[in-house]
Amino acid sequence: MSLPRDAFLGEAGLSAETLEVWINEEWIIPSGEGPDVTFTETDVARAKLVRDLTYDFRVNREGIGIVLHLLDQVHGLRQVLSELSHTNGGLPLHKERNE
Amino acid sequence: MQSPYDVLEVSPTARDEDIRKAFRRLAKKLHPDLNPGDKAAEARFKQVTAAQDLLLDPEKRKRFDAGEIDASGAEQASRKYYKDFANGADAARAYHDSSGFADFSSADGLFAEILRRQAEQLASAPGADRLYRISISFLQAVNGATERLNLPEGGALDVVIPPGIEDGQALRLRGKGMPSRGSGPPGDALIEVSVQAHPLFVREGNNIRIELPISLKEAVLGARVRVPTPSGEVMLTIPKSANSGTILRLKGKGVARKSSPGDQLVAVKLVLPSKADAELEAFCKNWTPDPDDDPRGGMQA
Repeated sequence: MSLPRDAFLGEAGLSAETLEVWINEEWIIPSGEGPDVTFTETDVARAKLVRDLTYDFRVNREGIGIVLHLLDQVHGLRQVLSELSHTNGGLPLHKERNE
Repeated sequence: MQSPYDVLEVSPTARDEDIRKAFRRLAKKLHPDLNPGDKAAEARFKQVTAAQDLLLDPEKRKRFDAGEIDASGAEQASRKYYKDFANGADAARAYHDSSGFADFSSADGLFAEILRRQAEQLASAPGADRLYRISISFLQAVNGATERLNLPEGGALDVVIPPGIEDGQALRLRGKGMPSRGSGPPGDALIEVSVQAHPLFVREGNNIRIELPISLKEAVLGARVRVPTPSGEVMLTIPKSANSGTILRLKGKGVARKSSPGDQLVAVKLVLPSKADAELEAFCKNWTPDPDDDPRGGMQA
């Protein structure tokens, strides 16, 4: 599901100016550009996280960049871990097929 | 159930400011996005949020202190957190980052294998599919058509609708979806087609069924009558003694499928004159039908 800009602002509870800053900081990475820009549900959830960090936890701009960068790495690692735990007998599936 | 004061670890006399501070202290540790995979933390975060909402609402706090409501009054609608998407099949691809453990990937190990595969998948993943809906008439569905679909971001797609499409069927236009975020191919456009009903024609697979009213005279003596078909009117011969319910077949006048075109099935329906007819009544009074030909002959239980 993809949302146009206005729908995204409503869902995430953001002003257009705030979104501009967040996109410049690459905290939110929409697809498309200009009037064709679209957002996903993932982007909405991520925007809400940035909102929590900013308003509830009072993390400043530099801090948010750091938090998101670490979180993205955590999720990257979590995915690798989950792949590892799903591979058969510790071998990647396609490797097994080749043998 | 714990009282909201216990949940936030504050005293019953705590001021709003203390409550906010306590909430922040706990939420920082418990926020679901900062504890992906920890269900217990998520559950406690919900309690903490609910407790704060209750205690910061002066009306609710007063009623809670007076024992009029319990702490469950502050349940909130469940929210989707970033972590709920971050490990989905393709959800957070754009945000994932493996630079922090790139040092593992130079090794010739299993871990490196997985990292390489992830990077390949990421770069070559196709764009997302886009879903459109169009509505076409019954005759367009039967005969086939080309419909122009105006895209929300400008431009248009010419959608060729093959004859015989059914209501709710989807057409796939390869490569007309969203572009890939990497070097992969674009996604597809999926076009769901809804077909409007027709006042005369009814689809039965590749055949078209129509009810054709005929007069008593036409039924008894036979006749040549005009019949509408999806491809225009044709002349149809009604045989002598055509009964109500008789089905006549117009070959090849159904759905215009090239490989196996359907037929039109014409169900004859006998209709008496709309006003009483003295001549017809006089004829019937004097007419003696064959006593062995009982129209209800097959109805004995």
